Amino acid sequence: MTARPDRGPGAGFAQPVPWLAPAVLVLAAFYAVPVLDVARLALSDATMVRPASGFSTEALRGVLSDPALPEVLGTTLIFVGVNVVALQVVGLVIALTIVRGEGRELPGMAAFRTLVLAAWVVPGIANGLIWRMLFDEAPYGTLNSLLGYAGLGPVAWLSDPQMALVSAVIANVWQGTAFSMIVFYAARRGIDPVLYEVAALDAAGPWRVFRSITLPLLRRAIAVNTVLVSVQTLNTFDSILALTGGGPGRATEVLSLFTFNTVFYNLDLAGGSVLAVLLFVLGLGMTLAVLAAGGRNPS
Amino acid sequence: MKTLILAAALAAAPALAQAQELVTRNRVGLPDAPNTLTFRLTAYDLYSSDPATKATFEDLFTDFIRARPDWKIETQLQTGNIGQEQARLLQQTQAGRGPDCAMIDSSQLALFKQTGTLQPMNMVFSDDEIADLFPYVREAVTNEAGEVLAWWWFTDLRVLYRDTSIVPDAPQTWEALREAGLAAVDAGREGVLFNGGRWEGTAFDWLAHFWAQGGRLVDDDGAPVFAEGENREKMLRAVAFYRDLVESGAAPARVTAITDYDAFNAAAAAGTAAMFVGGNWQYGQLRATLPAEQFADWAVSELPGPTEDERATGTGGWTIAALSPDEAKRRLCGEIAKEIYAGPGNAAQGLLPTSAAIYDRYDAYDGPEFDLFAEALQNGVARPGAAIYPEISNQIQIMLGDVLSGTAEPEAALDAAADAVQAAYDRQ
Repeated sequence: MTARPDRGPGAGFAQPVPWLAPAVLVLAAFYAVPVLDVARLALSDATMVRPASGFSTEALRGVLSDPALPEVLGTTLIFVGVNVVALQVVGLVIALTIVRGEGRELPGMAAFRTLVLAAWVVPGIANGLIWRMLFDEAPYGTLNSLLGYAGLGPVAWLSDPQMALVSAVIANVWQGTAFSMIVFYAARRGIDPVLYEVAALDAAGPWRVFRSITLPLLRRAIAVNTVLVSVQTLNTFDSILALTGGGPGRATEVLSLFTFNTVFYNLDLAGGSVLAVLLFVLGLGMTLAVLAAGGRNPS
Repeated sequence: MKTLILAAALAAAPALAQAQELVTRNRVGLPDAPNTLTFRLTAYDLYSSDPATKATFEDLFTDFIRARPDWKIETQLQTGNIGQEQARLLQQTQAGRGPDCAMIDSSQLALFKQTGTLQPMNMVFSDDEIADLFPYVREAVTNEAGEVLAWWWFTDLRVLYRDTSIVPDAPQTWEALREAGLAAVDAGREGVLFNGGRWEGTAFDWLAHFWAQGGRLVDDDGAPVFAEGENREKMLRAVAFYRDLVESGAAPARVTAITDYDAFNAAAAAGTAAMFVGGNWQYGQLRATLPAEQFADWAVSELPGPTEDERATGTGGWTIAALSPDEAKRRLCGEIAKEIYAGPGNAAQGLLPTSAAIYDRYDAYDGPEFDLFAEALQNGVARPGAAIYPEISNQIQIMLGDVLSGTAEPEAALDAAADAVQAAYDRQ
């Protein structure tokens, strides 16, 4: 038996710049330049009908002193917070259910997985329209009719400000769960099965197995998923636009939709850019916070 | 010589249809025609999902291009997201990348005029044709020099629809509407439906009640004045009218979630609503949707006002404008508006023309409903020609949503709307 040759670091490790340059250039062209351009517009007086005439902090001051901003940020915080928790919990439950079903060779697990994934490929606008039909509060509305058969309701799904936010969360969870499910499914399949066999020999119960094996070993996946889902949810506006338009009043107007409205109703390109930078900062802050709190490799 | 060849090719086009279609998904005319006009249009006519409408406009465009064999029209579709599409059109035009000719929503026309992007098309329209336009239309499409900067090819208006088996007499005043709504609720129906959700239709439909009192959104310079002096009182009265409809039960609370006119057609078809505030175009939709005996119960009337003598209705519609300074392209753009859309295109779709002569020219306008529409148009009010209007509309939507859902009192909601609009205006 001959020993495998030790490959060691190649010549590229001594000269990494040429190898990294293409990736850096692509990232700069497609990510850094647009971000810097938005930052430039945020410090200008540009509108949709007038190009920037110079440096100005008026848009920055105007947006930050807008009385609507605290309400919008509050709505965004609730929307993102509830969605992130719900998406993680529901996604994890479905992923573990599928893994358990596959372990027991139950039929239909592939179909179940496909069914969940189907919601993921629905465009945001279509998702909003689908749920708007389901939440229709007319006497013949789908969900209220079903509730009526059970002697419940009707529910003011979209006309009540608090309930409208709940409805927006439901629509987003329905669509976004598949992504969490995929992340957790892949991570769960990556856990060494020997650990579960040892736990079975030790007669550990399902809750103990989950708490002592599955959850700790999914910690990294949970952290990554939290970051991805948080940023996705923070940027969600198309499904809300189709579902409620941000109403009633501002009840479901999240920061990304507020940004959209600032640009396309106000025609305020500089103000919209300030809000886009704010979205970027919030997303970055959440990412760093999550990675600092739970993203380190488990020891 | 080349023109002759192209003319011959177009004349023989029916026989060559299999080989080269004159109307494709992105072109009208032969692909090798020497001159090109780019035309951005909506998806409601030439590319309509309704086969009959599509076929009618294909015929109109085919006849049009056969008469101009050395031209081809490259078509660009805009989506139904009007605000976003029109903002993009404006940006592209200012950057020199816009189409030569485009459909512009009447609500955005003032913005385009203000930016100087529209090119005159006087060579196509006679003085008599311009004089025959409804006054608010003529004012909107011309500038101070009398140049025709766009052609408003159809207009629309808002009216009150009612099921006469429940509401026999048309309510003429706000109070009468409330009473009729409550009576309809007693009869097991939803009283009156209207747009109350977060979209332009909510603000525009409701503004009729503000305008009926003589209220003004902006002054002559385009500055917002809707929350000042008498305008403030008129606005608060109109808000109180809507709130009273909801609080009394004459209108269901769900109106704050209604964000499209199709919801009214659905309610009419289901037989659950007694009245709704809709657009004139819905009359034809109801006729096509409802069984004949059910449709016979539905009638339209002018929107009620605070008194019988104070009436208004919001008028909208689409225009066609030249964005290229090239004279030949400006001419062709105007001819598209005149020969295809304003006239035969209107009649084919039952859309309301903007000049009296066209009503007399086509049998399509013989129905009694058009007499009512023509009468109501006398009280028509267009959106103000000010760049701040979209934000005023946005804030009115928020104000109505907050008040109707009980989140805010009318005075506080109006103050918030006025502050937000003023801040936006200061930055424009």
